[in-house]
Amino acid sequence: MTDGRSAASNKGMPLVRIVQETVPCECNVKEDADAGIRSAMARIIEALTKPLSAEEQAPKRKERGTPSRIVFKGQLEEFDRFFYKRGWGDGLPLRPPTESAVREMLAGTDLEPAHVVGKIVPRNGKATVEKIAVNAVMAGALPTHMPILIACVEALADPRAHLGAYGTSTGSWMPFWIVNGPVRNDARVNCGSGAMSPGDIANAAIGRTMGLIVKNIGGARKAIEDMGVYGNPGKYSCVAGENEEMSPWEPLHVEQGLARDESAVTLFFPNCYSQIWQYGSDDKGILATLIYNLPPGRSGLTCLLMTPTQAKTLAQKGWTKAMIRKYVYEYGRVPAYRHPSSYDGGGWTGRNPETVPPNAMDSAAIVPSPDHIRVLVLGGPGAFMGLACGGGLPGGQFVTKKISLPSGWTKLVAKYKTLVPAYERY
Amino acid sequence: MNTSAEINQRGTEYEVLSPWAEADPVPLRGIAPRPADLAGKTIGLFSNRKRAAVLTLGAVERELLEKFPGARTSWYESTTVNTPEMLTEGKAKFEAWVASVDAVVLSVAD
Repeated sequence: MTDGRSAASNKGMPLVRIVQETVPCECNVKEDADAGIRSAMARIIEALTKPLSAEEQAPKRKERGTPSRIVFKGQLEEFDRFFYKRGWGDGLPLRPPTESAVREMLAGTDLEPAHVVGKIVPRNGKATVEKIAVNAVMAGALPTHMPILIACVEALADPRAHLGAYGTSTGSWMPFWIVNGPVRNDARVNCGSGAMSPGDIANAAIGRTMGLIVKNIGGARKAIEDMGVYGNPGKYSCVAGENEEMSPWEPLHVEQGLARDESAVTLFFPNCYSQIWQYGSDDKGILATLIYNLPPGRSGLTCLLMTPTQAKTLAQKGWTKAMIRKYVYEYGRVPAYRHPSSYDGGGWTGRNPETVPPNAMDSAAIVPSPDHIRVLVLGGPGAFMGLACGGGLPGGQFVTKKISLPSGWTKLVAKYKTLVPAYERY
Repeated sequence: MNTSAEINQRGTEYEVLSPWAEADPVPLRGIAPRPADLAGKTIGLFSNRKRAAVLTLGAVERELLEKFPGARTSWYESTTVNTPEMLTEGKAKFEAWVASVDAVVLSVAD
């Protein structure tokens, strides 16, 4: 109900008549649909026939006044609570975005603070460079992360990423940010052991900033516009770099059309990330791990995560990224009766009927095409593989944006290069 | 950035900037006039291609046809699952359909 009202308001029709019913979400049981609609029918008929009020004919805008640039003055704890109570936080403590802190963050870009990098749905909020910097300060990001964050915003605003659907979906999709190119090392994006665990400022703060941007610029608030059923811890941060130095293959951003010496960020929206013990350390065992663990209920953009060791094993046997994509598409199959497209209890009306074989015992491909698959080399030593499985909206793609570095980048990198954890042995 | 000393010092006051973005105001529109009675009218049923759309709208259709003699229904299925129809290649077809009906029920079907 709240998301429907918010969606209508965003489209300029705040008083669309909405009738709430009790039909289970995505119901495919006729009796349940009939009962739910029957109990709501009187209200549906009223919504269709009741004369319009004056406001429904000509809705008036609520005057909110000019928003203040400075919103609060007070001590640290007061600031934190003020922001939290306005829904501007993510539950963790925030750093105060003071004028000086934001100014320092802006050292990470040559763009003007008022420059609009993109408009972020559902609210179509203007992601100015300054607003990006404000949210970056709050998340604990460093100025060396700003170029990456700006490219991340460009990716969010790209319609091929489908933020409008994935950012608010009941499916709780998380943005997975993959960083490539020299900026990984400059900004200290972890690509090795535990890359996706907490503990590195870049991996933690870049994702956290983007989560705040989705909320504070895009206006996707939990249980109002973001209707994720279970939610997703990956919405705090899911950022990794590709371990290009230890990979035998071309990096992801080169596959996506950029030059190797350029830097880039790639976005897609998985709603799960699973780790599977490899079936064997040889090429057959590694590939079997992938094709036998694809979840048939996903059928969308799929990222195969493998360690440098696994990648080298495959490469030594002649496998390229393109060959692996094709192989996993071809042999990542299930009997058709296990595939959601052939489920006769309802099925997705949007799925392609041409993917359903005539016989339920024939096999059906899980991922729609090799182009829905990417291979990512990251992580440290170990015998586990990873699968990040995304949605399959038509036209959805892995969206890659080039990262532009500001003048004075070398000096900026030098300023923060010693900011690394020094763990003592015990 | 806020230095550690700045953050830890008791009594330090912070003047902070708003993280909430501005958005261009969307022109507001009223909703369409309602028919006083649905008898004899053509009622549009808009499916957004979600799983429950056909079932729920089918139930609405049966109820309406039973309650309003002479009423008719006209179905429309959106071009995509998540894009406003006016922004898709189905725009012209959609506009013609809207002009042909007296009222519309859309099932969000989520």
